Amino acid sequence: MSKLSEGFAAACEKVPAVARLIAFAEDCFKKPVFGCHSCGQCELSQNAFVCCMRCPKQIRNGPCGGTRANGHCEVYPERKCIWWLIYQRSQRLGWRKKLFKYHRPVDRRLENTSSWLNMFAGRIEPLSLDNGEAYEADARRQEAELRERRGEKG
Amino acid sequence: MRSNLERMLRAGHFAVCGEMSPPQGADKAAILTKCAHFRDVVDAVNLTDNQTAVVRMSSVMSSVFALEGGVEPILQMTCRDRNRLAQQADILGASAAGIHNILCLTGDYMSFGNHPGAKGAFDLDSIQLIHTAAEMHAGRFECGDEIKTPPSLFIGGAANPFGEPLDFRIIRLGKKIRAGAQFLQTQPVFDIPRFEQWMTAVRGEGYDTLAYILVGVMPVRSVRALEHMRDNVPGMRIADEYIARMKNAADPKEEGVAICTEIIRRLRATPGVSGVHIMPVMWESITPRVVAEAGLLPRPVLTPVADVEAGGAA
Repeated sequence: MSKLSEGFAAACEKVPAVARLIAFAEDCFKKPVFGCHSCGQCELSQNAFVCCMRCPKQIRNGPCGGTRANGHCEVYPERKCIWWLIYQRSQRLGWRKKLFKYHRPVDRRLENTSSWLNMFAGRIEPLSLDNGEAYEADARRQEAELRERRGEKG
Repeated sequence: MRSNLERMLRAGHFAVCGEMSPPQGADKAAILTKCAHFRDVVDAVNLTDNQTAVVRMSSVMSSVFALEGGVEPILQMTCRDRNRLAQQADILGASAAGIHNILCLTGDYMSFGNHPGAKGAFDLDSIQLIHTAAEMHAGRFECGDEIKTPPSLFIGGAANPFGEPLDFRIIRLGKKIRAGAQFLQTQPVFDIPRFEQWMTAVRGEGYDTLAYILVGVMPVRSVRALEHMRDNVPGMRIADEYIARMKNAADPKEEGVAICTEIIRRLRATPGVSGVHIMPVMWESITPRVVAEAGLLPRPVLTPVADVEAGGAA
């Protein structure tokens, strides 16, 4: 982020009680509203404000092959597939292009810490507030590179 | 070190893969016996990794035994049972043992299997595992550290042509390819129109030119097997036509083989399809007949010289 935000995060984290308080405040807001799982590396703004950690397999690059024809989860047939929800809402918000992004493995060290502080500290990606144009462009560039490098498949 | 499957595909041959379930016991002989159904009949065989979350012999060791049995394995690796350390450790061991094809999967959920109370790892997801495998092939661990002797891998992922919504499935397929998937194996096809709709979308994105698409087919023995899949296996689509044909058949087993070979012939004529993946459930012995009747025998035998001729530069 910026020097200012990093300084703010460092100051808060110097006092563990303050860092815990901020994490608690974040939980109080995100758990009831989004069903947050406190992964500490929030991707709500990438995923149309649906928490992908609610997926039983915790897939960050979903959906798995088992989504039912009615859009429900294979593990919990009474629930909607999280990635189905993410797709539907992304379409409504005009954020479909965000779905092109590859999400890195979860850093388990950040679990149960505040995503807000982690974002200020520059440990995780900042909020994504555009329509994901850059993600799609990046994906197309990678595909062109693949085509060029391989010349053919493989 | 390229696998036979990779060389076959690079040389432009229509590839044939089989599938084998490892035994639910410490029974090496069971694998060696099954190898007889596949040797010189298919180009490579998938060894499943605790499929449907039921404990079986590990896919890595089963793959080693398959090699001993004269069959090239495709090591299936799920994210359910191992974290990223164990996965990478197994990849190193597998490559050292001569296993170079790897199929990266998320894995069926524990509740479907015989240890429903187990803890799932799900440390990585399938796309992250593909990415990790590609990085390892290039000489780096997931953490970024260098690998002195990197594994040599031909990396695959799964694709579901029948998943909804189609648009999102294609986006995700692209993600797998960009992460490093070189081949893709699909769910078994029992709905040609829907499959063709998917394949048209795949070709539209040019993904068939970036990865080899190996399409799943399944010989079934009874109408019950089809109905079971339709009703109980999420993400599967079965056309009514095949259910009716199986129901009315005098000899359902023969009809199952006939349907399967018919579908293979259709797929072979479909642009962008690089091969088939034959996956009979607990009926591995039918594989040679299906391959023969689909007109895919004898399998081409590639020498390392043919590899050079095919122009397969790294």
